[in-house]
This record gives sequence, C-alpha cells and structure tokens, in this order.
Amino acid sequence: MIVPLTTTKIGEQVRVSCLNCTSEDTCRLQELGCVEGATGTVVSNQKNIILQVGECRLAITHPLAMNILVEPVSKKK
Amino acid sequence: MSNQTINVQKELLRQPSTIALVGNPNTGKSTIFNALTGLRQKIANYPGITVERKMGTTIINGVLHKIIDLPGAYSLNHKKADERISYETLIGSYDHEEKPDLLLMVVDASNLERNLFLASQVMDLQIPMLMVLTMSDIADERGIRIQSQQLSNVWGVPVISINARSKQCDVQIKQALVEQGVATPKPFQWNPSKPLRQAVERLDKEWLSEHTQLPERARPIEALRLLAEGSLEDSFYQYSEEGKAKKLIEELQNTLEAQGENPTAAEVVQRYRFIGDSSEGSVTKEQRDEQTWTDRLDNVLTHRVAGPVIFVLVLLVMFQSIFSWATPFMDMIDMLFIEFGAFVGSSLPAGLLNSLLVDGIIAGLGGVVIFLPQIIFLFLFIYFLEGTGYMARAAFVMDGFMTKVGLHGRSVVPLMSGFACAIPGIMATRTIENWRDRLITIMILPFMACSARLPVYAVMIAAFVPDKRVIGFLTLQGLVFFGLYLFGIVMAVGSAAVMKRIFPTGKPTPFLMELPPYKWPNVSSVVIQSLERGKIFVTEAGKIIVAISIILWVLASFPTYEPTASDLADMDANGQTSEQMISTLQLNQSYAGTFGQWIEPAIEPLGFDWKIGIGLLTSFAAREVMVGTLNTIYSIEETEEQLGLIERLRSETDPETGLPKYTLATALSLMIFFAIAMQCMSTLAIVKRETNSWKWPLVMFGYMTVLAYFSAWITYEWANTFLLG
Ligand SMILES: Nc1nc2c(ncn2[C@@H]2O[C@H](COP(=O)(O)OP(=O)(O)OP(=O)(O)O)[C@@H](O)[C@H]2O)c(=O)[nH]1
Ligand SMILES: [Mg+2]
Repeated sequence: MIVPLTTTKIGEQVRVSCLNCTSEDTCRLQELGCVEGATGTVVSNQKNIILQVGECRLAITHPLAMNILVEPVSKKK
Repeated sequence: MSNQTINVQKELLRQPSTIALVGNPNTGKSTIFNALTGLRQKIANYPGITVERKMGTTIINGVLHKIIDLPGAYSLNHKKADERISYETLIGSYDHEEKPDLLLMVVDASNLERNLFLASQVMDLQIPMLMVLTMSDIADERGIRIQSQQLSNVWGVPVISINARSKQCDVQIKQALVEQGVATPKPFQWNPSKPLRQAVERLDKEWLSEHTQLPERARPIEALRLLAEGSLEDSFYQYSEEGKAKKLIEELQNTLEAQGENPTAAEVVQRYRFIGDSSEGSVTKEQRDEQTWTDRLDNVLTHRVAGPVIFVLVLLVMFQSIFSWATPFMDMIDMLFIEFGAFVGSSLPAGLLNSLLVDGIIAGLGGVVIFLPQIIFLFLFIYFLEGTGYMARAAFVMDGFMTKVGLHGRSVVPLMSGFACAIPGIMATRTIENWRDRLITIMILPFMACSARLPVYAVMIAAFVPDKRVIGFLTLQGLVFFGLYLFGIVMAVGSAAVMKRIFPTGKPTPFLMELPPYKWPNVSSVVIQSLERGKIFVTEAGKIIVAISIILWVLASFPTYEPTASDLADMDANGQTSEQMISTLQLNQSYAGTFGQWIEPAIEPLGFDWKIGIGLLTSFAAREVMVGTLNTIYSIEETEEQLGLIERLRSETDPETGLPKYTLATALSLMIFFAIAMQCMSTLAIVKRETNSWKWPLVMFGYMTVLAYFSAWITYEWANTFLLG
C-alpha cells in the first residue's frame, strides 16, 4: 500500500517509495538522505511533517510532503 | 568492500599550504576553524550560519598555513548563494583567490551516512584530504560506534574522530595532519553504473571540455548535475552554444531512461547505496527506543498552534528583558561618564580645548556607550537562542505565515538577526534559495529594529513615557518598547505583502530544513561572541561619533557670539543667569543653529525642532549618532545644574509659550521616524553588494524615507489630537 506522507500517523515507520515532485525539490530531498528505499519514522504530523530518516530530522511542509509517496512498514521487534 | 592502500602524503605540510574546511552545514567547521586560527567566526546550532569564505592562519610543525572556513553544503550541486561559494572555492574558479591544496573534510559522526554523501562528491574532485569526524561525543551518547580505521580503509583517506568543542581539538587535528598525513582519494569510488558513467563521459567530452572553462577535475561533477537537473539555467557559467548542450543532455537522459536508470535520481541513489553498503562494517548502532529530549521539546515547540505562540512569547520576553535587565548597568555607565566629564572639565583650564573634550567628545561618546549593556544583552539572547537549535524550529513553524506574506520560512533567521544589525541579517539571506524570496527579505529587513535604534528608543521612552507597571513583570515603558519592535515587524510584513504583488512570481520553493538536535549552547562562546559584538559597537560607533562630535562641536561653537548691550538688558529684565542665556544665543546663531533653523520648516510638521533636525541629519551616518549629537548640542548650551540628556529633553521649553517643547507626541513621532527611515550607509552598501546593482539600495532608501516622513507626520497629528488634545 502506497500513500502520501501527509496521511501517515505519528510514530509510524515508512519506506520512501516514490518522490513525486519537480526535479529541483526532489534533488534537495535526496541530498538530505530521503532517497527512494530509505526508511524513516514520522515524528510529527500536524499538516507539516517532521520525518526522521536515519539520524537526520527533516522538517517538511505540507505541499512538499504531499508529493512524497511512502509505504508503511511494520516495526521490527 | 575492498580495502585499499592509502596513498599518504606527508610532505605537503612541509611547505605553506592552503587548507579548506568542507562539510555539511552545522557540523562544526567554524568551531574547528576558530580552534585552529584563534579567530572568532560565528558559531550556532543552525544549518547555514557561515555564508562567506573566511581566511585565517595556523602553524603546524613550524610552518604557517592558510585556513579557509567555508559555508556548509549538502551537495556540490550548488543551488544557494552560500553553497555556491563552497563549490567554486573547491574547483578553484575564483581566479584572484588561491584554491585549496588540501581539505579537512568535516563529517558529523552522529549523522554519518548523510554527511558521507557530500564527502563522496568532494572525493571525486581528487584533492588531498583528512577526514575529520566531529560530534563524536553526541555519537557516543546515542550509542553510535564508528570504526575509524575501517572507514579509512574503505574511502582511502586518513580519518580522525574528535569533539570539536573540546580544548584539545586543534592539537588533535594538527597531530593527525603530521602523523597520519593526508591522501588523495580515488574518484568514482561509489561505482557508478555503466550507463551513468558513459553518459558522464560523453557529456564531458562532447560539451564540457570543449565549450566551458571548467577545470578538468570539476567536469564529472558538473556533468552529473546537468544530467540530474536537465537544465543549464542554474549554472553559473557562460555557455556558448547552449542549444547544443540542451539537445545532448536530453538525448543522454533518454538513453539513461531506456537503460532503466532514473536520470534525476541515479547519482544520489547510487552514492547512497555505496555509502550504506560500505558503512556496514564500520558503523554500529545500539537500538534505543526511548524518547529523547529533542523529541519531547519538538512535540511542544513545533506544535501547529503552540509553536507560533511560543515564538511570539520568546520575542516578548527578549525585549522586556533587554529593557529592564540592562538598566542598572546603564545607570552605572552614565554615572561614570558624568564623573569623568566633570573630572576632565575641572582638571583642564577652561577654554576651547576643555569645551571640545568635555562637551564634544566625552558627551557624544557617553551618550552612546551607555547603550552597551542593552546591546550585549540583546546579543546574548540571540546567540543563546541560536545555540540551542531553536531557531530552525522557529523557521519551520513560521513558514506558513511567512509564505503568505511573500517571504519564506528561511527568512525568519535573517530577520531575527536584523534585530541585532541589518548587515549580518542581509548576509544571512544567502541561505534562501529562491531569488525573489531573498530579494523581498533583503528589502524589508531594515524594518527590523536594529540595535542602533535602541539608544533613540530608550532615551525617548525614558523621557516621555510614564514608568508604570501594567501586569506582572510588564511595564508601560517595556510595552511601548515592545510595541516599537512589533511596529517594525508589522511594517516589514506589510511591505513584503505589497512587494509580493509587485515582483513577478516564480515557482515557490517549498520549505525543507534539517532540524538539528537541541544542544546546551556553549556558554563561554555565547558570552565571548556577545562581548565581541559589544566591542565592535563601541569602536565602530565610537569612531563615527568622535568624528561627528568634533565637527558638530565646531559648527555649534562658531562663530563665537558677543552679547550686545540690548541682549544684556533683556537678560537683566528676564532675571535669567546671563551665562545660560548667552550659551543659548551662542548656539542659536552658530553655523549648526543657522543651518538647523533653515531646515526647520521641513520637519516642523513632524513636531521636530532644529536641534532634533541636526540630530536626524547626523543620524544618516549611523542611527545611534543621533543621541550623541543631541548630547553634544545640549552640553554646549548650559543649564543651572548638570543634567542628563533625558532631563534636558523634558525641561526644554518653548521660549514663546513657555510650555514644554517636546511632548509624548514628539517622542512618538520621532520613534516612528526612526523605526522606518533608512538611515544607515553601511546597510545600503551591503544591499548593493548582495543584489549586485545600485537599483535596489536606491529603491530601498527612497521608499523607506518617504514612508518614514509621512508616518511620523500622521503620528504627530494623531498623538496631538487624541493623546494630548
Ligand atoms: N557536542 C558537540 N557539538 C559541536 C561539535 N562541533 C560543533 N558543535 C556545535 O555544533 C553547532 C554547529 O557548529 P558550527 O561550527 O557553527 O558549524 P558549521 O559547520 O560551521 O556550520 P555552518 O556554518 O552552518 O555550515 C554549534 O552549536 C557547535 O557548538 C562537537 O564536536 N560536539
Ligand atoms: Mg560555520
């Protein structure tokens, strides 16, 4: 199941599956480690999103977050 | 991962060389720079503090080397003005400045993979380097273990791990440079796929090497960027035959796609894959699930509603505290200057020199130095906030609002620094990617009430606003003070909203920022940096003020006045001390007085007399000079007892009506004028440099001055009718 990042809940673990934005923004996200296949945790979702990818905490505003498609993954024990 | 033998070079350091600090933003580059050079570059917990290259020197094993601190960059795809500086320095495209011989590749150990992305790009440039892992203390705390030796084997460069904040940091780095040396990394260690490699080679051969001036080692990086972005727009080089390049890039992109590669992502994905694989043996992390402090604080501080409210509260506390906490220190300085003036006055023989020293220089200087405590408090506050990591959150929560008014979340930090001084604020706009957002931010930035306005506000408030407690710790004076800051912010926001309509809209750049972990600021560096700013304030303002005080003293003391018989008769009739009267007449007919009275009609509608008028004129050199000027003017005019500037302003009476000359209405009008007017030469010069044209500083000067005049006029009329009428 693939959903936009904006529909995820706090604490949810997600895998980035498709970055669906204009190329410039995509490049910036990728440079920050948010590449396809990377897993992250949703730290906050109040319209704008904070996504923790690895050790890096990314603040992403709503319009950009809508263009990030993710796949929820179940938490590893 | 295959290990490789490291080709260590130690002889490089035997001769003087240029060493550059490269790395992601907020990784400790400037901290290392300061440790090595003993200089005081600004350091804060916010990505994007350093925005220009800065040079220093250090001695390693008896040899003097140059050190360059660079702005942080996430990649070499140079999009923002600050990132571009790093890129251009690395490839050596500044002809007049030397290119680095070796690099300290600064890598944040607590965020290794993300940092290695830039490192792997830089390695493709094949400059000898030492990899410096910083934040080792934070990595330890989070249970991240890095095998430096392993990392060194993978990448083929020596690696050291340090805590850049510790005292031995410089010694450790120098020792590593001497003992481990540096090594030239091999290019393309990340094993680009065959299609990607072929595309890069073709773009290099058929376009870059023939039609551009790029140095050879930079061409593959530029080729990768062009393939990913597909446009030549963002390149900072003059290309001939652009059409040919566009066609070629398009063709190569299509070929890549046909071979199953996504051209916009191929480079990044492949680099990250290599980094991920190679870290496997060298990095381990203990799984910890507990909530960190950063999580807890972020729950509150980035909350949709609470976040902005907290931001406004933080500002409110900041302004109230600089107003009230600084008072005792200010009284002390005031006392000192009065005593000192009296001492000099009485120990020198009366006469011209005495008057020049006491009335001109000491009075002028004292009028401004008194604000040192407030300025230091302001900087302490701002540096403290920046050191905690809060500012990145403030930018994030304010982005929605900022975007609505034509700014950007990234405008928040430059605007905040504008409270200290517009110049660093305007420099800090280099972190804003979109040119229009950046231009609007620059154009409204001088509305932020900078510390040079503080003296004027403080004098006027202390003289004319009643000192009453309103609620809790808030006083009426404090509230008016906050009101003025708020007024500046409202003006800024309003003007931005107007400019948003005027300037052509481009594609908006969505807000995306890394939030650094919260940190306890390095107290000693916060204090040292604030004191440093205080020192700059005194020396810079001091120079101008001494010069202007002398000129003004001359203009106000000459031509000397000889009382006529009828003047003396008048004085006897009025029962005034003749000396007082003479000094007033002296001032009125001096050069300054004559000129002031000549311009008086222009400023009369705003409620200003010629003395304030002279102050206004001198304040165009620098705002804080205003207070010094008034002090000098009033010192020349004698009173019965020695009074401070504030009492002098209060007791000034209109000779015709006998009523106080300055009222709350005058004070408000003057403060509004100062809040808006563009009275700072240095700011205009910086705007010229950052926008690369005279157009914008001229527009800025024009619109702000006109706006200031009419706003002050309206304020004066309004206050006279509704507050005093
Ligand atoms: N705990 C810890 N903090 C560090 C270390 N090195 C730097 N810091 C802190 O990290 C923050 C960033 O340091 P800077 O030296 O300003 O970083 P920079 O790389 O110059 O940043 P930019 O100029 O924005 O690119 C500051 O708050 C420093 O005090 C370290 O080794 N350990
Ligand atoms: Mg720096």
